[in-house]
Order: sequence, then C-alpha cells, then structure tokens
Amino acid sequence: MLALYFVLLGAALWLGSGFAALGRPSERTALPLSLLGSLLGVVGAVLCLVQGGAGSLDFHFAGFPARLAIDALSAAFLLPLHLVAGLGALYGSSYWPLDSPKGTGRSLRFFFALLVAAMSLVFLTRQGIFFLLAWEVMAVSAFFLISTNHEDASVRRAAWVYLVATHMGTLILTAMLILLARRCGGWLWGPILGAAAPKLDVAILVLAILGFGFKAGWIPFHFWLPAAHAGAPSHVSAILSAVMLKTGIYGVLRISGFLPRIPIGVGGVLLLLGAATALYGVFYALAERDFKRLLAYSSIENLGVIGMGIGLGLTGRATHDSWLAALGFGAALLHVWNHAAFKSLLFFGAGSVLHATGTRDMEVLGGLASRMPRTVRMLFPGVLAVAALPPFGAFVSEWVLYRGLFAALMRGYPWTAGLALPALALVGGLAAVAFAKFFGIIFLGSPRSAAAEKAHDPHLPMLIPMGILAVLCLALGLGSAWLLPGLDRVVVVLAPGVSGQLAASLGFELRMIGGFGGALILVGGLAWLWVGRPGKRKNPQLAPNQPTWGCGYSAPSVRMQYSAESFSEGWANLLPGRRIRMRRLKAIFPTPSTFHLELSDSVGLGFLEPRVERLANRALWFRRLQPGFLTIYLLYVLLALLGVFLWMLARPWLLPLLGWSA
Amino acid sequence: MIHDILITLTVLTNFTLVATSRVNKSIQVAAFQGVLLGLLPLTLGLGFHIHILLMAVAAVVVKGWFIPFLLRRALAKVHIHREVHPYIGYTVSLMLCALGTGMSIVLAHNLPLKPGGPFALFVPAALATLFTGFLLLVSRRKAITQVVGYLVLENGIYLFGLMLIGDMPLLVETGILLDLFVGIFVMGIVINHISVAFDSMDTRQLAELKD
Repeated sequence: MLALYFVLLGAALWLGSGFAALGRPSERTALPLSLLGSLLGVVGAVLCLVQGGAGSLDFHFAGFPARLAIDALSAAFLLPLHLVAGLGALYGSSYWPLDSPKGTGRSLRFFFALLVAAMSLVFLTRQGIFFLLAWEVMAVSAFFLISTNHEDASVRRAAWVYLVATHMGTLILTAMLILLARRCGGWLWGPILGAAAPKLDVAILVLAILGFGFKAGWIPFHFWLPAAHAGAPSHVSAILSAVMLKTGIYGVLRISGFLPRIPIGVGGVLLLLGAATALYGVFYALAERDFKRLLAYSSIENLGVIGMGIGLGLTGRATHDSWLAALGFGAALLHVWNHAAFKSLLFFGAGSVLHATGTRDMEVLGGLASRMPRTVRMLFPGVLAVAALPPFGAFVSEWVLYRGLFAALMRGYPWTAGLALPALALVGGLAAVAFAKFFGIIFLGSPRSAAAEKAHDPHLPMLIPMGILAVLCLALGLGSAWLLPGLDRVVVVLAPGVSGQLAASLGFELRMIGGFGGALILVGGLAWLWVGRPGKRKNPQLAPNQPTWGCGYSAPSVRMQYSAESFSEGWANLLPGRRIRMRRLKAIFPTPSTFHLELSDSVGLGFLEPRVERLANRALWFRRLQPGFLTIYLLYVLLALLGVFLWMLARPWLLPLLGWSA
Repeated sequence: MIHDILITLTVLTNFTLVATSRVNKSIQVAAFQGVLLGLLPLTLGLGFHIHILLMAVAAVVVKGWFIPFLLRRALAKVHIHREVHPYIGYTVSLMLCALGTGMSIVLAHNLPLKPGGPFALFVPAALATLFTGFLLLVSRRKAITQVVGYLVLENGIYLFGLMLIGDMPLLVETGILLDLFVGIFVMGIVINHISVAFDSMDTRQLAELKD
C-alpha cells in the first residue's frame, strides 16, 4: 500500500513539475520536482518488487467505480519509467534549454511531465475507461513531444504518422476493452471467474496483441516508429523507446494475465511474430545510416526479442508448463529492464553526438572518440550491452530466453521455437555487427567533416545520466542473480501457481555468469593498467598521428575510410526498399561519377504508403458532397429528416420482417 | 375550436408562401403566419397567465412586426422584388408542399404521442410547416427568401414547442426566443456579407468561398 502512495505521489509531483515549467521560475522548481517525483516512483516500485506487497485503492470517479492498484507487474514497468524519466529530465535540462527558440523548451518540459504522469497511471489503473483515458493522454503528449522540432517537415510527417498509428491501436484496444468488460461483468479489471468462454477469450487476446502491438512496434505495426524516434529530441526518444514501447508489452501481459485459459496456438504465433520483428529490426538497423534511426530499428529488434519471451510464456501458461512460463516471462521482463537501461543510454549518447555535431548522418561523422572522450567512455558499455555481450545485462536476458527456447524444443511445443532459436542467434550476431558499425563509424577513424572535427564533450548534466546508466548496464549483468526473486514475484502475477522457480533453478547459473563477468573485468582492468604503466617505453617506430585506415599511403584522405554504407554492404544488399543509383564506370580513365543510396522501410513506405494514398484518392470522391451551396447542405438536412420520418413510419413493418421485435 | 382554425390558417399560409413569387408578399405572409402562431397560446384554454401573455406578445411583436420590418428594410436597400428562377418552380413547390403536408398527417398518426387533448392538429401542422420552411430554404435562390424560409422553419419548431407549454412554459419561451435571435442574427450577417462582398444577394456566389 505504501508503494502505491509513493508512486502516486511521484506521478503527482511530475504533473506539478510540468505546470511549474510553464510558470515563471520554471527550471529551478520544475527540475527538482521531477527528480523528486522520479525518486519516489523508483522507491515505490522497488518496495513493491522487494517486499512483494500489492496495494489497491478503490474509489468512485464521476459515478464510475475505479481502481488504482500496484503489484509486481506494475512495479516492474514503473521502475524503468521513473528511472529513465528522472535521468531524462536531468539530461534534457542541458540538452534542450528552457529558453530555446519559439518556446519549445517549455512545451517540451510540460508534455514530458504529462507523459510520465500518464504512463504511471497506465501502469496503475485497473479499470477499462480510465485505462483508455490515461493511454490517450500518454499517446497525445508523446505526439507533442515528437513534434517538438516541428519546423522540420519530416518531423511533422513523422508525428502525424505516429498519431494515426497510435489511434489505430487505440481503436482496436477500445474494442478489446469492451469485450473484456463483458467478460469481467464490469469495467473494473480482475481475474475472470465463472464459465469458460473460449471464443471470447481468443478474441480478447488477439485484439490485445494487435492493439498493443501498434505501441510495441511489432511488425507490421512498426512503420511509425523509426521516423518518430529519430525526429524527437534525444531524451524524449530515450523515454519513448525505453518505456513507452513497453506499455504495449505491459498491456499484453496484463490482459493475458486476466484470462483463465490461454489458447495454445497464440503463444507459438507470437513467438514467430517476435522472431520476425527482431530479424526485420536488426536488418534495417544494419543498413541505416542515420544513427538515431539505427537505434530506433534496434528498439524494434529488442521489442521483438521481448515478444518472443512473451510467446514462450503464454505457451507455458496454455500447457500448464510452469517452467516454460517462468523462463519465457522472466526473459521478457529481464529484457524489458535491460533494454530500458542500454537503449536510454544509447539515445542519450546519440543526443550528445547530435548536440555536438548537429547531424544524424553517420557518413559525415567519425573520429569522435578523441574529441568526446567522456561521452565515449559512458557510451561504450551501452554498445556492448546492446550487442548482448557478456558481462552486460542483455546477455543475461537473452541467455534466459535461450534456456526457454531450448526447454521448448525439448518438449516439442511450440514447434515455432525451432525457427525462433536460429532467428535469435542471427539477431544477436547482426546486432553486434550493426553496433560495431554504429560505434566504429561515429567514434573511430578520422572525422569526415568539419562538424565532426569541432565536436566536444557535453556539459555535466548530460554526462551524469549516461554515467549512471552505464553503471546500471554493467550492474544488471553482474548482479542478475539478485534480480531473480523480484522477477519471480512478477511471474507469479502472470502465471499463478509458479512461485520461486527462477530463483531456485537459475540462481546458480546467473551467479556463475556474474562471477565470470566480474573476473573478466578484473583481469581486463589489470591488463590495461599493466599496459599503460608509467615508465613503459613507447615504440619509436610508431609514427605519431597516422590517420586510421591510412594503410601506409603517403597522402591518405579521410575518404579512404570505410563508410557506413560500405561497412554493411554485404548484408544490407538483401534488403528490399534499398535503392542504389549510380553511373556505371566505363572506359579506362573514367570521368567523375556519382553514387546515391536510399533506404526506405519496405513495410511502411514500400507497402503501406501507396495503398493508403490510393485510398485517400478514392476518398476524395466524397468531396463532391460538399459543393459549397448552402441550399444543398440544407437539402441534406431535409433528406435526413425525411429519412428519419420514413424510418419511424416503416419501423413497425420492417422490424418483424427482419425477425426482431419492434 | 379557435385554435383549430388558427392552425388550419397556418397550414394555408404555408401553401401561399410556397406559391408566391413576390418577395414583399412572402414577407407579409410570413408575418401573418407569425401573428397567427403568436395568438395560438391564448386559445388553448390555459388561462391568461402572465407567462402565456408575455409569450404571445413577444411572438406577435417579434414575428409579426420586428423581423418583417428588418426584412423590408433589407429589401428596400437591395431593390429586389421577385424571386426569379428558383431552383424548384412554383407549381412543383406547391405539389411538394402538398405532398409534405399529407405525409406529415400520415406520420403524425403513426407517432406514439398522447392522443386527444387540444393538440390533435399540432403535430401534423408543425411537421408540415417545418417541411415548408425547408422547402423554401432549399428551393429559393435569394438570401432574403431564404431568411423567410428560415422564419417558417422556426414557426414549425415553435408550433412543436407549444405542445409543451403547459408543462414548461418558461423553457419553451426562452428556447424559442433564443432560436429566433440566433437564426435572424446569422442570416442578417450572411445577407449583409453577401451583398457587401459580391454586390449581389444571390447565394450561389457563396460557393466561391468553398475550400
């Protein structure tokens, strides 16, 4: 109960900070308020996870019974929310100053705070209508955040596409919640008792997966995501990617938790959907040259991985296989936490680079490691984590997922695990390549433009959040064994009857992984100290300041370096939606030539956009109904009136014909 | 007895309105219809309560004098005497009006309303007047005749509202007056603006404003 009050107070403080940002003394009140709110939120969530206490608050609002409740599942999502939000507010205070032109600084702070408060409510509400309200406030404030930089046409477009996509999702969710209300016998949510209704349950679950899938960015509903996350200010991208996408995950978990029986096929299909999403995301991340879009595609990949975990967990519940359920849900949640940590770190780092250079194009960057040394040191753990390398957290969560997939293979269900397993392996490998490109092209080599040449480290408020997250990424990997009891509490909410399995069975393995990781770091650190010990002679033959990829040429140029495109050429060639325009080189002494490459999302731009455009063109026909004559409009009113009259006249005869009572 | 006569006269004025081509005459007839309807509350046998008196006086003054006065003034300014080339001709309008009146009677008989009382003719007459108002609005070209149509439409709604007079007179009064005020206000602005912007009162010109 205490936890619930803490979180509610935290959300209220955030809301207050939002309004404070609009007022006069703004930053000096708003920032401490939001930091305090986040602190309270984190404390509340941790309390709930550690003690396992659930609390709920029933009240009536505008005549509706409403309920706010916290349990381990809510806390598992509230924790990353308030962590990333607090760090994001700190980061944003320097990244997007309050007195930025055209008042965007104020509106950004206001909607950021509104987003955090609304998301807290999304995780706490246990009533259909209030859930939808909180969901809408969240979606709309995210729209305003994405369109912060609205002078840019591409940002405006991204924001509109996002708004349409999120409302498509909301539409489906509304249908789902109505069905759920029928099943629960009221808008209040609770475990469904009573008679089985398999068809209704399947409908609810499928609608939930579709509706929340829009938010979670599972293909084919991901099309809004890359542009929206790339166009938003970086700390907003961080919270959108690290937390708001997870509201979709939370929704699927929460709704499926209510259903008494899960149909068997759904888990397997979701597993396959997750695998496809992860593969799609990682392939596009590999080919992307805009580094924020790359991170956004990597978010799609990670959400796919989380979806695979949920698919396994649902199969476990459907077959009453508690071990499979624990592994699947456990892997999904662990990855939710890890992804929140490393992706917000990466977006903060990307923001620092953007702040310093003013471009999102990797092809004009390079050599930032020597110009932004602190940023690189903070960011590097994030890069290792996203590539799922030990000893960082993502390795552990993918490892738990592997355990689950192998367990599924042993049992023979769901058979899609056989496809998901190699997909996951491929995803891990390609993610490593994609982030080798991300890090190598941006930070290593020589600068490819004047902007990169003059880059510098950001101020302390931007570095501190990155430092905290970098430590967290490592801590999540080394200390993963201590997370298991909390994770078990969440799994119990999702799959009743499974208690303490993860801590009992995985504790030893994770301690081993953590121990080996710690040892690795220790040895590595000692080796580094030994290599860099004072008094060691420098190799005199090593020429100073040779450019990277100089290859011993006498006059190396920066254009001899690997470019982002050339680095991923081999894999990215496979992608549809990748168009190359180049003049073929002829003759022995060719004239200057050009090379142009563009990459478009094959589902969003390639498939959906022409169809939507055609539909919009067809819909133009309806404009003929609006000729501009007042009399015609009045005629419409008259016809409608006559129609109603005729209907009233014909009703007594028509209804019995259709078999209804009048 | 008297109210039946008044209502019958109202329906007859509908026909006159639809068939007339002179703008001046249609304003006159609309004013007459307003006076008829204004007198109607006094004949319902509800006594001479202050509310009812007030409402009758307000309706007679506004519908019978004030609005026609405004319309005549507008007419004097723009020099229009006849509605030429309406969208729907006078004979056809008359037939449509008759059809609408007949249909209103059929409909009123089939509506689940409380039977008996002094209101037997109210519903069909109200629907017929409403329909006539719409017909005028749709079929006429000049803004000023459209205002007359709007006035007739209002009269239909007023007639409908009169059925509730015994139960909630004040509400009916305020509602009707507000409706009238808003309607005339809007149309006044429209007339003024069309004649200023296009130097004409033909509503076809408004199509230029289409998005």
